[in-house]
Amino acid sequence: MANKANAPKLLVDGKRIDGRTTNQLRPIKITAGVLENADGSALLKWGNNIVLAAVFGPQESTPRHTADPVKATVKCKYSMAPFSSMGEHGRSGPNRRAIEISKVTKEVFENVIFLNDFPGSEINIFIEILQSDGGTRAAGITAAAVALANAGIHMKDIVYAVSVGKVGDDLLLDLNMIEDNYSDCDMPMAISPRNGELLLLQMDGNITREEIQKAIQMAKDAGKIISAAQQEALLKVYKNVEKEIENGV
Amino acid sequence: MGVFEEIKGNYVKELITKGLREDKRGMMDYRNIKIVKDFIFHAEGSSIVDIGSTKVLAGIKMQVGTPMEDTPTDGNFTVSAELLPLAHAEFESGPPSPESIELARVVDRGIRAANCIDLSKLFIEEGKVWEVYADIYVLNYDGNLFDASTLAVMTALKNTKMPKYENGKAVYEERTTPLPINAVVTSTTFGKIGSTLLLDPNINEEAALDARLTITTDGKRVRAMQKGLDGSIADSELDNLVDISIMKYKELKEKIENAVKEE
Amino acid sequence: MKNIILPGALISETPIKMENTYLDNGKTFSKVIGLYDPEKKQIIPLEGNWLPKVNDIVVGIVTSSKGSVYEVELFFFGRGLLIGGKFEDIKFKTGDVIEAKVKDIEDNKTVILWDARALRGGTLLSVKPTKVPRIVGRNNTMVEQIARITKSSIVVGTNGIIWLRGEFIGVATTAIKKIEREAHTEGLTDRIKNMLENEMLKFDKQV
Repeated sequence: MANKANAPKLLVDGKRIDGRTTNQLRPIKITAGVLENADGSALLKWGNNIVLAAVFGPQESTPRHTADPVKATVKCKYSMAPFSSMGEHGRSGPNRRAIEISKVTKEVFENVIFLNDFPGSEINIFIEILQSDGGTRAAGITAAAVALANAGIHMKDIVYAVSVGKVGDDLLLDLNMIEDNYSDCDMPMAISPRNGELLLLQMDGNITREEIQKAIQMAKDAGKIISAAQQEALLKVYKNVEKEIENGV
Repeated sequence: MGVFEEIKGNYVKELITKGLREDKRGMMDYRNIKIVKDFIFHAEGSSIVDIGSTKVLAGIKMQVGTPMEDTPTDGNFTVSAELLPLAHAEFESGPPSPESIELARVVDRGIRAANCIDLSKLFIEEGKVWEVYADIYVLNYDGNLFDASTLAVMTALKNTKMPKYENGKAVYEERTTPLPINAVVTSTTFGKIGSTLLLDPNINEEAALDARLTITTDGKRVRAMQKGLDGSIADSELDNLVDISIMKYKELKEKIENAVKEE
Repeated sequence: MKNIILPGALISETPIKMENTYLDNGKTFSKVIGLYDPEKKQIIPLEGNWLPKVNDIVVGIVTSSKGSVYEVELFFFGRGLLIGGKFEDIKFKTGDVIEAKVKDIEDNKTVILWDARALRGGTLLSVKPTKVPRIVGRNNTMVEQIARITKSSIVVGTNGIIWLRGEFIGVATTAIKKIEREAHTEGLTDRIKNMLENEMLKFDKQV
């Protein structure tokens, strides 16, 4: 967390720095099937975040001996481009934060993918943060879920993710970078919309028991909008073709 | 690459003996080229280039740094490239491969040799200069990364706005001064199959190549050359290719200028 | 009327046995992105890599041989094995493209092949396995139409690998790619026929 002495006022008269209310999501736009070689892919713009997710699989396990004879092995790599921040050039190579995010993201999808349907195989998820402005792990999971569906991977559900933070006594939905730096708490969550269960849960800062429940509810309400964006992206792949045929392309 | 590409490569060779290419192009024709600027506004400059299905993103970042010992009044320019694993099933994550290093160094060479960036104008004060980082991110691989990357980096550089320098620091929220660009370079990559020379090989054609040659030019002079693979090039062939490279400069440069102009 | 459904979509409030679905709390949900036909009670996946089934016809490449056992690349997550014996008079070499039938599947990921023959010359095309049924057509009508009009030899592997040979396979390839894109739409057969005939006319005009 950044030095509070320099903290800008994150909430003034119910309005946040970017003009949002406490319970408002940044705009989300998703396009599925943007990469030709990947089995599935999605480009997601969420506020100022730009995320590219791609999936390969089920494919042969490499190295061969790592194959699990009973189920698929899920591998996930989250990484941030060196030009993604509004600031200095980022260092190349995975850092500890990226490695941790890769791990918890992998665990989200290990829950929803029907691993037993693809025994002995490997499913590779790649999340590239091309531009970052807070909430990138949530954006990454949301994009990866679309890429997995686009790849035809068998899943229980299309997962979404979003973070809720706290400034003073106020809970703020979907923190951007500045808010994340100066907030009192940040709680990213990934949720399976079908049954409302939490598949990713992290938190640091300070929060009460009641606030946790309130935050979860805020996330679920936002989830309706996020899920709609994911579904629209997936269906559009086919609707665009139908439109082209109508227009005689 | 794999067994599949080998079969495709054999078919390409078969077509070449009849003077044909799979996608019906002329031997010296490019696939469709699309250039979009400013894709990543957090970067000081950026561009996405598509050549056929090859897709490359270039991002430019600038920061305040210390000059190299032997050029104390010049800024620094560094090019890196990543063949992202999402670009092709055969690309793996990990340390930079020889292919990605070669790609970065070849793109760097042409731009540096032509003095595209006036590095002397990046001097701030003693011991402080601007550093320019160009990162090539390959997003989808369908052959000819060299030309797509050169176009992407060149367009991104032409579009780069420098951060303001205030109180010893770069102010990224205020970027108005364009990066001083002296020259524009373009590269043309050729492949050789038997005795046939072709421009802009796609991934199937790359599997059939005996030799590959990339020529970077500023429209008048040759600024960089790189031969790849284990086949050979005759000096008469080279002369012909240099000629074509300089001829292609105009149309490629126009594409860069059009992309930069667009609002 | 068919509609497109996504993973997690509710198919029925009661438990139903249907491929590509799963049960949870007595309800049936979709596992895949696919076309749901409520009358035929089936989900046709729109995406996904090949999941081998016995009797599938596949196209692969021989990658190694040991005696009469051949390793065959079938472009999926497992391995393909062709065991000689009955076919000792047919010998395959590394690099050969073959058409074969799936005899058996071991451990869910080793495909045992038989009934193999070599496919000489030509080239290969990779398509999404979920589109193969449309490319083949009912009773092979679609692929036969393409082969006839473009005077090509075509073998479509259920594993998404297609072998083509002939002077006009460029036109055949364009048609196949079009079917791949439009597989989920109606009126495809006529559009393909028109497209093929128009493209082939261009060659007649050149003669």
